[in-house]
Amino acid sequence: MSQTLDATPHALREAYYVLSTAQEVPDAKLLDDIVRRYPQFGQELTEFAISIAVDALRGDSVVEAAEAAIDTTAVSPAVSRAMSHFQNRLHAHTTRAPEVKSAHQFADAANPFAGLSRSEYRAFAARLNANAVFVGKLRDRQIDPLTMTPGFQAHVAKELTAPLDVVMAHFSARQAAPTGQFFKAEGKPTAGAQQSFEEAVRNSGLSEAQQTFLLEL
Amino acid sequence: MARPLRNTDSDGALYTRPTVVEVQIDQAIGLSRSDLGTRLSITDHSHPAYLRSECLVHLVREGRRTDDQQLMSSVLPVLLARCEANLLVKVPDGTLPDASGIRQQILEDLTDLFVLDGGGDFPDELDFYECRFNLAFRSLRIDGVRRAMRRRGRTIRTVDLPTSDVSGEPDAYEDAFARVSENFKVLPTQEWDVFREPFVKAIEALPDDEREAVILVHVLGYKEESENPDEETAATRCKCTGRTIRNRLSRAAAKLSRFKEDL
Repeated sequence: MSQTLDATPHALREAYYVLSTAQEVPDAKLLDDIVRRYPQFGQELTEFAISIAVDALRGDSVVEAAEAAIDTTAVSPAVSRAMSHFQNRLHAHTTRAPEVKSAHQFADAANPFAGLSRSEYRAFAARLNANAVFVGKLRDRQIDPLTMTPGFQAHVAKELTAPLDVVMAHFSARQAAPTGQFFKAEGKPTAGAQQSFEEAVRNSGLSEAQQTFLLEL
Repeated sequence: MARPLRNTDSDGALYTRPTVVEVQIDQAIGLSRSDLGTRLSITDHSHPAYLRSECLVHLVREGRRTDDQQLMSSVLPVLLARCEANLLVKVPDGTLPDASGIRQQILEDLTDLFVLDGGGDFPDELDFYECRFNLAFRSLRIDGVRRAMRRRGRTIRTVDLPTSDVSGEPDAYEDAFARVSENFKVLPTQEWDVFREPFVKAIEALPDDEREAVILVHVLGYKEESENPDEETAATRCKCTGRTIRNRLSRAAAKLSRFKEDL
């Protein structure tokens, strides 16, 4: 994985996208909403929102003019290098296709949240005695499964009406960080930052009663 | 019909592409390669046959999914050329150390998303790019620049501005910041274009804490502070007191006061 993507945890990258794509210029309400969803990244998101705002101040008219002036009959050296990078990475990736493909199929099959509609998602959060923020962390595998209590895992499986082993496989799938020699980062890539179960319960905007309930399962 | 997106929002609902993108994808998928090449050569955004970047992302993903090398090789360079044009404006030479290296890294980061599409720890990341490409790419770009600067242990080079005593210039404070807020709401305007570059440079030249206070209060719309302990304010976002925020705003106003006449 590249330096940029590898160094930014998946959940933070997602939060950045949500913040950037929701509005041209973020406002307080949007930032508050997103920080509530990703409370562990409050400082990063605040700084990112400020960067977006300053960037927006410059406007995009110059960018549009630059794009309109592109010579489509020639490929620039930068684009040529990027295409070469892409082809090399693609080749390297596909040579390990069986391993990767099976991992993906497993992840797809094991995600018990994938088929939930909006109303089902909310209803599940209610049955769990939690909220959408907390369920989002479960869905996105932001919680270390080793810190979850057996009672909580069983509670999730019951309310999802899914087999316990499928639910556990979903939670554990995130641990399979991409490995291999095809990375530019200084260190081996790791899975995105995960919270402990207790941290996730404490930092998801749950009421005291909800926190107590979940932690005592 | 284009394959549905798989990413979900905070309520668990699937993201959806804008209708105009859906329509364009349906058209583009049915084009012969020759006709697609013709469409890809159009760079004028206002041209009715111009293919939006969201559509190009979908085509490259489709090429990746079906192992269609020809499709990827014809569409991806066009998308990358647009991104390069964007980066040359947003990350120009001279404003950052090794700006060209940062631009290249961001382009390659984008190609990595296609390589890893459907897998890895964020399999549906490109869904954002099929919905609002420019804003998604903005996120990638800003993150890439900030990370590059942190790796280099430097901050963005800025221009020193003369300081002045804000206490004697309350009007400058009000005028300048009122105009900042106003112009953020109506970007872009011809009048604003005249002052855009020097004003942005002045904002960027502010110390981090002062710039944060200005943007949080006058752009994002936070109160400086609140008696309600549950209300987020500029002070809570910056983990400081309301008085500190006001001091930062005052110092920033002093530095920006030279724009009073221009604004």
